[in-house]
Amino acid sequence: MKFDLTIALPDRPGQLVKALEPIAKNGGNIISIIHEREEPSTGIIPVSLVVDFPSKLNLKETINDLKNSGVAIIRAEEIIDTTHITVILVGRVDLRKFTENKMKKVKILGFEVSSPTSEDTCLKLELEVPAEFVEEVMDHLRKIAEAENVLLLSPI
Amino acid sequence: MNVIIVGFGFIGKETVRALYKKMDIIKRLDEEFRIIGISDSKGYIYNEKGLNLEKLINIERLSDYMAYNESGSAEELIEKRDVDLMVEATPTNIKNGEPGLTFIRKALKRGIHVVTSNKGPLVVAFKELTTLAKMNNCQLLYEGTVAGALPVFSLVRKCLQGDKIRRIMGILNGTTNYILSKMYFEGTSFELALKEAQERGITERDPSYDVDGIDAACKIVILANALMNKDIRFEDVKRTGIRRITQEAVSLAKKANYAIKLIGVIDKRIEVAPKLVPINHPLCVHGTLNAIHIESDLAGRITLIGYGAGKETVSAIMNDIFTILKDLRKS
Ligand SMILES: NC(=O)c1ccc[n+]([C@@H]2O[C@H](COP(=O)([O-])OP(=O)(O)OC[C@H]3O[C@@H](n4cnc5c(N)ncnc54)[C@H](OP(=O)(O)O)[C@@H]3O)[C@@H](O)[C@H]2O)c1
Repeated sequence: MKFDLTIALPDRPGQLVKALEPIAKNGGNIISIIHEREEPSTGIIPVSLVVDFPSKLNLKETINDLKNSGVAIIRAEEIIDTTHITVILVGRVDLRKFTENKMKKVKILGFEVSSPTSEDTCLKLELEVPAEFVEEVMDHLRKIAEAENVLLLSPI
Repeated sequence: MNVIIVGFGFIGKETVRALYKKMDIIKRLDEEFRIIGISDSKGYIYNEKGLNLEKLINIERLSDYMAYNESGSAEELIEKRDVDLMVEATPTNIKNGEPGLTFIRKALKRGIHVVTSNKGPLVVAFKELTTLAKMNNCQLLYEGTVAGALPVFSLVRKCLQGDKIRRIMGILNGTTNYILSKMYFEGTSFELALKEAQERGITERDPSYDVDGIDAACKIVILANALMNKDIRFEDVKRTGIRRITQEAVSLAKKANYAIKLIGVIDKRIEVAPKLVPINHPLCVHGTLNAIHIESDLAGRITLIGYGAGKETVSAIMNDIFTILKDLRKS
């Protein structure tokens, strides 16, 4: 599991190495470090890390260890891989039906309706879906489209 | 090798033409290669010493050839002595596979190799016919049934022998691709694009065969059974046609860098439906072109693009004939 771990380090030599120790100890694999030093120094440097931990528990322990050694935690949250999906719906689309319950995991990034020349409306949705739920979400959309007699066009 | 041809329509005639044109190459493989009989729906011609191909390529109807046996049937021709190979090119019938199914059964039972471009018998009785061929030690080849000239069966069988095919998807019907391409490039309505396709003579008599995805679904059945070890029937393909595709849908898709194409897919789902194809995807081909995209464990992705109907189909029939000729020489 990937996490965004942002910590505040005192602007003194050797601080970063000290902070990385508990991460390694708890099985974390550091994917990236962004370390921005401002001039003139404010005495504190925010450091953003992306860390891959075997589980949430490892993150928790790391946070405890860091706090105990006096490092302040600014942010610690899971990074969720998402996929962008475009779908087009053709028919008498009741958008609420498509966005109910199961779709909670889905963010609608954009939508566009075209002025219909026939009685079928046409709606394009840009969705952001957590990668692991793509199939579930597509199955759900297919089911509703079928029940509502709407044509669902999805990417290959 | 003694060959009979059943069906002397577009494909039957083009096959005779191609055989005539390539006869010197064929004779190098088999000096004894002869076409000994040809039949259409009303009769047949037969000569055990071989028909005259030069005459054959110049006639319009089979009955224009001398000694046309009126009232004779293709089945009689199959029963003639020493037939080695039958090229079967009768009309497609996906309800019961006839008349081709009876002809192919009969030929295989007699140990005659079969090359066909007719989907009907394979959609209706794939397992039965392939088993029958094996039992009688003969080959049943049907490259021309799916996507015309695209050598998809040969490619997978000869060149991907160590691969496991994970997914096949493709544009398997040129008529719907023509219609959707017209809508994409010219913003025409479905109805108008269909009318144009009909005027150009590229639709089946019953447009439903193309636009409701029936033709594409038949091809999916053959591909799935032949190349992905499935045992499916026409009813197992979930099918959605393109009648409901509106100009608005096409233009919304286009703005998002997609083209709408009628796609057949075999993976966890087996379906034919209009889908959004990214315009930079190799499957995104236009006009009457067909395309087949294969995903396998070792090779990754391979795409074939070309013509799925018309005289190009004869390339597939010829390759099947050559395959059988060469295999016979080996044994
Ligand atoms: N045309 C293409 O581009 C293409 C491409 C790929 C696959 N195919 C497939 O190839 C097959 C042949 O297509 P085609 O375009 O050549 O069709 P076609 O022009 O309609 O020719 C069909 C031929 O079959 C004959 N026939 C019908 N019933 C028969 C029977 N009971 N016994 C013997 N002969 C019979 C017809 O005889 P009559 O002349 O007496 O009517 C005709 O000669 C079809 O299954 C088609 O789907 C065609």
